[in-house]
Amino acid sequence: MPAEVNGDVAVRPELNRSQARSLVFAALAVVIRGLKVEAVDEQQELYSDLGMDSLAFAQLLVELEGRLNVQLLDEDLLTIELVNVADLIDLVESILLSPEK
Amino acid sequence: MAGPERDPLLPTHWFNILHDRPQYVASALPRARLAGLENTAGHGLLLQQPFSLARQSFNTADRLIPIPDEVLDLYAQYRPTPLRRAVRLEERLDVNARIYYKYEGANLTGSHKLNTALAQAYYYARAGVKHIVTGTAAGQWGTALAYACQLMNLSCTVFMVRATLQQKPIRGDMMRLFGAVVYESPSDLTDVGRRVLKEDPAATGTQAVANAEALALAAEDGESRFAVGSGENSVLLHQTVIGQEAVSQMAQLNEFPDCVIACMGAGSNFGGVALPLLGAAEDRQRPLRLVAVESAACPKLTRGRYRYDLSDALGTTPITKVYSLGSTYVPPPVYAGGLRHHSAGPLCSAMYADGSLEAMAIDQQTSFRAGMLFCETEGILPAPESAHAVAGMIDVLSRHPREEDPLIVLVNISGHGLLDLAAYQRFAAGEIEPVTVDESSLSRSLSALEEFNQRITQPAEAV
Repeated sequence: MPAEVNGDVAVRPELNRSQARSLVFAALAVVIRGLKVEAVDEQQELYSDLGMDSLAFAQLLVELEGRLNVQLLDEDLLTIELVNVADLIDLVESILLSPEK
Repeated sequence: MAGPERDPLLPTHWFNILHDRPQYVASALPRARLAGLENTAGHGLLLQQPFSLARQSFNTADRLIPIPDEVLDLYAQYRPTPLRRAVRLEERLDVNARIYYKYEGANLTGSHKLNTALAQAYYYARAGVKHIVTGTAAGQWGTALAYACQLMNLSCTVFMVRATLQQKPIRGDMMRLFGAVVYESPSDLTDVGRRVLKEDPAATGTQAVANAEALALAAEDGESRFAVGSGENSVLLHQTVIGQEAVSQMAQLNEFPDCVIACMGAGSNFGGVALPLLGAAEDRQRPLRLVAVESAACPKLTRGRYRYDLSDALGTTPITKVYSLGSTYVPPPVYAGGLRHHSAGPLCSAMYADGSLEAMAIDQQTSFRAGMLFCETEGILPAPESAHAVAGMIDVLSRHPREEDPLIVLVNISGHGLLDLAAYQRFAAGEIEPVTVDESSLSRSLSALEEFNQRITQPAEAV
């Protein structure tokens, strides 16, 4: 998946879905002004429920890049389409489990 | 294959003002309160732009961002662009000033738009996009993107505002020459176009509708994407080659401007020339006056409001805080089609809000008079948009006292007017009237803008 490691922080094998979830929720809190993270659940939709658009989506990916210390690649991201928070957590998990790391 | 030889003055990096002023990063307002979202369950989020471009719009870490080699080779075919002193214009105006101009009209497509079109086409092609769709007002952006797409083996579809395509059909011919498919907007190809035509079959079109049509077409398949020619931070970034060259070229002449003047559509030519000079002025700890010149028919800065707004008529673009006349405002069909966008981009809007730039509105007749004078004295016929910058500069110079030091001004001539000869001919024949705002359209649009803001911002701001 989309990743080039920027340094050696990268992936810890023990990082699991709950850690991916924490990363995603923390990034969402930065990008969506006034979001009450404790009220968000994985089935909530990014567009319909959280009101995100393509600009916020791009900002979220930049935020996740920083938190994951990776550089996401254009060709991997252009075709992904995410509907709900769970999709986003799946994406982060797949980055974390990337063999490049 | 080796590219063309690069001039030492050709910048190798873009200048990123967000490093110096991170407060200008645009944030989208959550759309949760926007009416119509009730029926959007299952709607997926998709990047319209390659992520490299999106990242550029948020980058606050790097003051200089490297220009890819492939783009530099293409820039080298027409850059650096000329910077000249307008000696004969100075004499004719008899002003206490030294006037310099930067000329961006000498490339094949005739305007500064090529600087970002090449960069964007490069990133879209590298990301695997096959087809780019866009909206264009005056046609400079559409022409530049069509050419850039041809170079990068991309298909290109352009929705061009009806008023300007009818004024200068040769713009459409140029785009087709480069392989693009061109539609007059509003068109019957999209829902939004059909809706506008149903309300008014003679609708002259706006950039907001053209963009909405382009977005609708781009959404039809996975290999197509929408691209935009102004307003976004990444687009302004690509244009900073203009200002960086100007800094070097003026340094060779032992000069630095007191004042930089450019016309303002959504802000790409203005930002392109002004931002690197602003950075250089701050490095030198000297003041610099920035003047944005807009069309009196579309005075988004001087009469607009700093509010959250959309940049397309479909309502799908991000909601950002901008100086706007409202996305439903229909400006009269002036020849400076590139200045007809209802709002300035977020970055230039933020600069206007914090006092970093001044604005003035110039009517069409005054701008053509200035364009003719520039042609007579300097041998370059400016595009109608650029003629606004010349007129604004003349206004600034006319107020500069004779007893003070000469004012050193730099004006950006963003494109040539050789495809606008019919308009200049009409001016010469006395057939061009001063055109100002359509007051009734403006009043309705501003009310809608306020209503939109009440609907979406109060809950978000209250958190």
